[in-house]
Amino acid sequence: MAGSEHPLRDAAAVAGIGATPYSKNSGVSTLALALRAIRTALDDAGLTIADVDGVACHRVGDSAQAVVVAQSLGIRDLRYHLDLFAGGSGSHQVLMHAAMAVATGAADVVVCWRAINARSEFRMGGTGRAAPDTVEFQYQVPYGYATPPQQFAMYARAYMHAYGVTAEHLGHVAIAQREYAIRNERAMMRTPLTMDDYLSSRWIVEPFRLFDCCLETDAAVALVVTTPERARDLRQPPILIAGAASGGGHTLYSNHREDLTTSAAVDVAPRLFASAGLTPGDVDVLELYDAFTPLVLLQLEDYGFCKKGEAGPVVASGATRQGGDLPVNTHGGHLSEGYVHGLNHAIEAVSQLRGTAGERQVPGAEIALSTGQPGYVAGSTGAVLWRRG
Amino acid sequence: MTVLPTPDRDSAPWWDALAHHELTLQRCESCGALRWPPREMCNRCGSLGWAWVAASGRGTVASWIVNHHAFGAGAGARPAPYVVVLARLDDQDDILIPGGWAGAADGADLRIGLPVVAGFDDVDLGDVDDQLDTSGESARAALLRWSAA
Repeated sequence: MAGSEHPLRDAAAVAGIGATPYSKNSGVSTLALALRAIRTALDDAGLTIADVDGVACHRVGDSAQAVVVAQSLGIRDLRYHLDLFAGGSGSHQVLMHAAMAVATGAADVVVCWRAINARSEFRMGGTGRAAPDTVEFQYQVPYGYATPPQQFAMYARAYMHAYGVTAEHLGHVAIAQREYAIRNERAMMRTPLTMDDYLSSRWIVEPFRLFDCCLETDAAVALVVTTPERARDLRQPPILIAGAASGGGHTLYSNHREDLTTSAAVDVAPRLFASAGLTPGDVDVLELYDAFTPLVLLQLEDYGFCKKGEAGPVVASGATRQGGDLPVNTHGGHLSEGYVHGLNHAIEAVSQLRGTAGERQVPGAEIALSTGQPGYVAGSTGAVLWRRG
Repeated sequence: MTVLPTPDRDSAPWWDALAHHELTLQRCESCGALRWPPREMCNRCGSLGWAWVAASGRGTVASWIVNHHAFGAGAGARPAPYVVVLARLDDQDDILIPGGWAGAADGADLRIGLPVVAGFDDVDLGDVDDQLDTSGESARAALLRWSAA
C-alpha cells in the first residue's frame, strides 16, 4: 500500500468478545469478573489461554492489577503488559495500545478488559474508597464537589448555556437509548422511558436529573485483539481496527482549557478519521461514551457528525434512534445497558459489525465508531473506528 | 462537618495564604503567565522560575451546580441543597477556581457571566474531629466563598 497510509490502519483485529452478566452485585471479586470475561472472549474467538501473550486494562485503583490477571490466567512469559491508570477516557486507548502491540509484533494475542464492581464495591460517588489519586481533588472536596455527576454537571451547564441545549434535548438522549436497551437482553434498564418520566425524575445535581446519569454496574467485558491474518483463521469473522487515535490530556485546572463547551474529541477526530482513511459520513453506527447525557451531544459535534450547537435538535429529530440515519448507543449505553467504563461500547461496535446484535441490529453496518470519555472533565482520551473485515 | 483542605507540597503555601484570607496565584518569571493550581513549572513556556502574586479576587461565573444530594461520605457530606460556583478570574481567562456560594442555596440568584468577588470562610477546626492538618504549620484553614460583586 501507499507509504502515506497510517501504520495502524487495519493492522489489528478483534477476534473475540466476552462479557459477564451485568448486575448491581456480582458477589465476586473484580479479578474473578476479569477472568470470566476473558475466558468467554477467548472461547468466542476459538483461542485458548495458551495463545495469549499480552494483557491490557484500564482502572482507577478499583480493580485487579493487569499483572495479577496475567498470573491468574497462567501466562508464563508476558510479552506485552499495559495497566493504564485512567477512567473512561482510557478505555479506547487500551484498544489502541493493543492494536499497536500486535501491529509491531510485540505480542500476538492481547486480551483487553475492564472489570468493575461499580455498584457493590467502589462506587464512583465516593463510598467504599478514598478520592482518586488526582491532585485537583483537594480544591474540590472541601466544597462537597468531587463526584463525576457534579463535575460533568459543572461543565454541562456552561455547554447548555452557550448552545441553547434544553432539558428536552438531554431527555431525547436518554429516551432513544432506553429504546435500544429494551431490545438488548443484557441491558439492565428495559422498561420504557417517556419524556414525562425524564422531566419528572428527581434532581441529582442541577442541571442533571436522575436519567441524565449512567448506571452503576458490576460487570466485566473483554476483547481479544490479534493480527488480521490470525483472526481470519479463527471462529468469528474478524472485525478490523480501521483506525485509532488519542489526544487531549487537559484538566480544568491545567490552564490551556478555558473553553468549557468543547471536549478533547475535537483534537482526536481529525487524526482518528485520517488514520482510517474515513470520514464521519462513512460511519454506520456510533457507540459514544455516555456517563451523562450531554456527552452524547458533545461528541456528535466534536467528532464531526454535526456542527456545534446542532446535536440537540439532531437527537430530538430521532436521527439517533433505531431506524434513524445516525444510530447512537445501540446497546443502550452506560445510561441504560450498563456501566463498564467504556468497553461495553467497544463490544457493541463489534457485535453490530458482526451482524449479531439481534433486535437492535443496524442493517448492513460496516463501519462503527466507539469512543472513550472524551476528555471533557479531564483525561487523555481515545477512540476507535471499526471495519467489518 | 467540613472536610479540611489536604495540601500537598506544591499547594501548602497557597492554602496557607487562603487561611490568611489571601487569594494567590503563581506568576511565571519568564513569560508572565499566571497559573493555578500551584505547580513547579510554567506549562506555557517551561520555565521553573515563579513567584507568588495576589489575585484580584474578582471574576465572573463560568458555571455552577446545585447539589440535591448529600454528596460525600461521613464528615464530608453536606446537607442539600447547596451550590458550588466555578469562577473565571478577571486576572486571566483560563484560571477557573471553584468555591462555595454566598447567595441562595438553590442558586436562583446565579447566572453565567455574573460578576463575583472572592470571600473566605474560616474552617472551624473544632468541627473536624478525625482529620489532621497536614501542613503541620498552621492551625488555620479557610475555604473560598464567591459572592455577587
